[in-house]
This record gives sequence, structure tokens and C-alpha cells, in this order.
Amino acid sequence: MRSKHVERVIRALLFLLVIAFFAWAYVSGAFQFILDNPDDLIYLTQQHLKLVGLSSLFAVIVAVPLGILVTRPRFKKYDWIAINLANIGQTVPSLAILALVMTYLGIGYVTAVFALWLYSLLPILRNTIAGIENINKSIIDAGQGMGMTESQILWKLELPNALFAILAGIRTSIVINVGTAALAFLIGGGGLGDLIFTGISLYDTGIMLAGALPVTVLAITLDFVLGKLEKWIIPKGLQRNLESL
Amino acid sequence: MKRMVATKSLMLLLLTLMMLAVAACGQDQAGSDQQQQTEANGEKGTVTVGGKDFTEQHLLSKITSIYLKEKGYDVKEASNMGSSVVRSALENGQIDMYWEYTGTALVIYQKQAVETDPDVAYEKVKEKDKENNLAWLNKANFNNTYAILMRQDKAEELGIKSITDLANYVNANPTALKFASNAEFYARQDGIKGLEKHYGFTFPAENVVKMDSGLLYNALKEKQVDVSVGFATDGRIEGFNLVALEDDKNFFPAYNGAPVVRQEVIDKYPEIADLLNQIADRLDTETMMKLNYSVDVEHKDVAEVAREWLVSQQLIE
Repeated sequence: MRSKHVERVIRALLFLLVIAFFAWAYVSGAFQFILDNPDDLIYLTQQHLKLVGLSSLFAVIVAVPLGILVTRPRFKKYDWIAINLANIGQTVPSLAILALVMTYLGIGYVTAVFALWLYSLLPILRNTIAGIENINKSIIDAGQGMGMTESQILWKLELPNALFAILAGIRTSIVINVGTAALAFLIGGGGLGDLIFTGISLYDTGIMLAGALPVTVLAITLDFVLGKLEKWIIPKGLQRNLESL
Repeated sequence: MKRMVATKSLMLLLLTLMMLAVAACGQDQAGSDQQQQTEANGEKGTVTVGGKDFTEQHLLSKITSIYLKEKGYDVKEASNMGSSVVRSALENGQIDMYWEYTGTALVIYQKQAVETDPDVAYEKVKEKDKENNLAWLNKANFNNTYAILMRQDKAEELGIKSITDLANYVNANPTALKFASNAEFYARQDGIKGLEKHYGFTFPAENVVKMDSGLLYNALKEKQVDVSVGFATDGRIEGFNLVALEDDKNFFPAYNGAPVVRQEVIDKYPEIADLLNQIADRLDTETMMKLNYSVDVEHKDVAEVAREWLVSQQLIE
């Protein structure tokens, strides 16, 4: 009861802070650039969304099957390699990945998409493997006892039970990707990073905010939409701890 | 499960080792500086030399430091600062001297109008900074201004030598050339917009690729773009067979380097002005490009390049 109350107060405070920030930014003329150049902003936002959309889509297409593959009984022995590779990959700074990919693919849009794809793979892969591995052994045993084939076990038991973890991984990956995609500008990939880095080099808060605000709004919106999507996709019977998120 | 833990700890160990290795590399760098510290006997007094955060500045502050040490001063080095930081440090007396560019001081610190004539720019900043008790010593003959770069073979093939030639070519074939720019040059009024106005041409927006300053030269070399903005004294211009187009209508401001020293320090050690002028008088654009080339393209150590140059000029043994 009390914790609910505290939560409400904190929420209100945060809202006030956000509103205060916007009011301050508006008064100090930081939004002037956004108001003056709506076309630029729309164009760059579209570019940014394309970067994120393409790279995340390919990441899902590759990482989920790969995660399923390494958890099959045949490869079970080696799945720790995949997990550790994914963990190590996650510690490499995104900027370094951009730089490395650039040495082989040159600059521009394609390179940016490829690097973002590489960076988005890992959280999805990790969560897919963890989701499948952490399923209660007895459920699988029961399935085997009922005479299910391997593919039946995968489709009817493993995937539905691991779905929550897999979707959480995809959601995390996409939200991180929205922020990382701002770095694409540095290698000529365009996107909202253009405004952020221009703002930094000119020491101009207005231009910087024109880039940073849409990125933030995009990330929050996507997170919200994906959260709703999760609820809709995951079978009702398995929605155990969704409420806690 | 056991194996997982073992592997995890192994990975951790590896990572730790990597970090240590990186840290050790940094140590080496510091170590070689330390060595030079010990050569100084510091009988004449102590001075602090500052510097900004790019190759040319590392070289200039290193040359200055080594030379002053050899002449018997105890030198402290404070390099790798941003422009406005190093200027504040000088004004506050945290450092005694560093190398500044006329154009930067004129426009950024003194808020005066852009000046393309090197001598006029120098006289203006020198005069204005007297109020701040900062002495501009001799202007060196290198000008690290913006430059419009092309690959040598491409420029020859199209017969482009100057920016006027480029403007004519772009006006005739608007979509033929791709242009690379950094964020700053694209957005500044005295950047691409001013350049286009001054020379009467326009790069179509879809032909401009924006990227990090450090990648411009590589993008040009790798034929990702045909024209790029760059800095006139960068060693990679020569290293990558690029050519800087002649600024025949004098659009770009002058950015000549010169040592700036606090007047107090000059009054205390009058000899320092002579010593630094010895260095400034021997540097020109070509020399600066060569030195930058040794560091940026041949990956030589800054201290080594600085020392070799001083020896070659017979300033030190």
C-alpha cells in the first residue's frame, strides 16, 4: 500500500521534471532549430528509422534461429561457446564495431546497417539461448514421455516457454539500437546522429536537442509498442511475470 | 555448469590481461616522457607547456618542451586539451605557453571578423591579446587552414587545379562528384555554405556525405567520395596522394601557428622568447606536413619525430 503511494509521488516528480526541462528548453530558445527546419528533421528521422528497422529485422531473422540451433541436443555440448562469444561481443564498444566494419566495407549506409545488425544480434542470441536452456527440465521430460518428436518438443514446449525471454531480448536489442544508430553518422550513414554531432561540434544546444529528443522519443515509443506486442503474442497461460515489468 | 564457471573465469582473466596490456602501453608512453624529464637539470627555472588534442599540436608542444629542457629549463607538459580549455588554462596561469592559430584566436576568443590575409590576421590578434597580457611571438610560416582536397589522379583527369575550376565543373555536371564534409564545416556559415556562395556553385544535398573528421581522408583515398574538406597541414594529404585545390579567390581564413606566452613569463625569462622564435622561424607548411606524416601515416612516436627535427635543425645536439 505504502509502496504504491511512494511510486505515485516519484512518478509525479519525474513528470514535473520532464515538463520543467521542456519549459526551460522552450524559453531558452533551444527548440528554435526544430521549428525552423521541420523538413530536415523528418528526413533524418526517416533515415534513422530505416537504419534501425533494417538492422533489427535482419538481427531477429538470424539470431533467433541461431539460438535455437545451438540449443539442439546435437550441439548442446558447444552452446557455451556461443554464449561466451555473445557475451564478449557485447563488451566491444559500438563505435569500435563501426570502425572495424568500415575498414572492410568502406563508408556509408550499407556499412552502418551491417554494423548495427552485428551489434543487435548479440542480446537476441543470448536471450534466446538462455530462454530455451532455463525451461524446467520436467516439462521437456514430460513431453518426451508422451512420445513427442524433437520438432514437436521445440514448437509446442520449448518455444512457447522461451518466448518471453526471446521477446525481451528483441525488445532490449531494438531499444539499444535506436541509440547506437546515432553513431552511424560518423561513418557517413546519416540518421539523427547528424544533428547531435553537429550540435556538439558547434556547441549549439538547439541543434543537439533537435537530434537527441527524437532519438529519445523513438526509443521510448518503440519500447512501449513492443511491450504491448509482447502481451499480445505470448500465450495467456504463460504470462507469469509480465505484470512485474 | 562447472564448466560454465570455469570458462567464465577464464574469459574474465583474458579480459583483465587485455586491459593490463592496454594500460601497459600507456605506461610505456609515460615512461619515455619520464626519461626525457631526467635529462633536464632545470637550473634556469620551471615552465609549463600546453597543447591541444591533435597530432600537429602534440608535435609542436613536444618540440617546444624538448628544446627548453635542453636549454636548461625544468619543463612540465600539459597536452591533449580542447581549444577553449587550453586558452582558459593560459589565461588562468595554469600553463605558461602553447601554440595557437591566428584564425582561431581571432574568431573564437576575440570574436573579431574573419581575416584571410595571414599578416593582417597576425597583427590583429597580437594587438588585441596585449590587453590580456599574452604575447604572440613570431608567426610561423605554416597555415593550417581548411583545404578542399581531391585525389591527385582524379583532379588531373578532370583538369581541376583551383576551387574555381571545381566550381565550374560542378556547375556543368552537378551530380558527377561526391563531397565529404565533417559536421562542423557543413553547418558553419564560413564553411561549405560560405564557400559555395563565394565561388558561385552548389553541391546538391544528396551528393554530400557527412562523417567524422578523422575519416575524411580515408573516404577520399578509398574512392568513396571525390572531393573532401580537410586541413592544409595534414600529413595524409601527401601520404594518400591527395591534392589541395588552390583557394584562388581567398575564401579560407588564415590559421598560422605561433607560440603564445604569458607576458609575465617573458618578463621573468626574456630568453624564452628568442628560443621559441628559433623554432617558429624554422617551420613552414611543408615541414609541418612532413612531421605530421611521420606520425599519422608512418606511426612514429611523437617524441622521436620532435627530437629528430630539432637535431636536423642543429638546435640541439
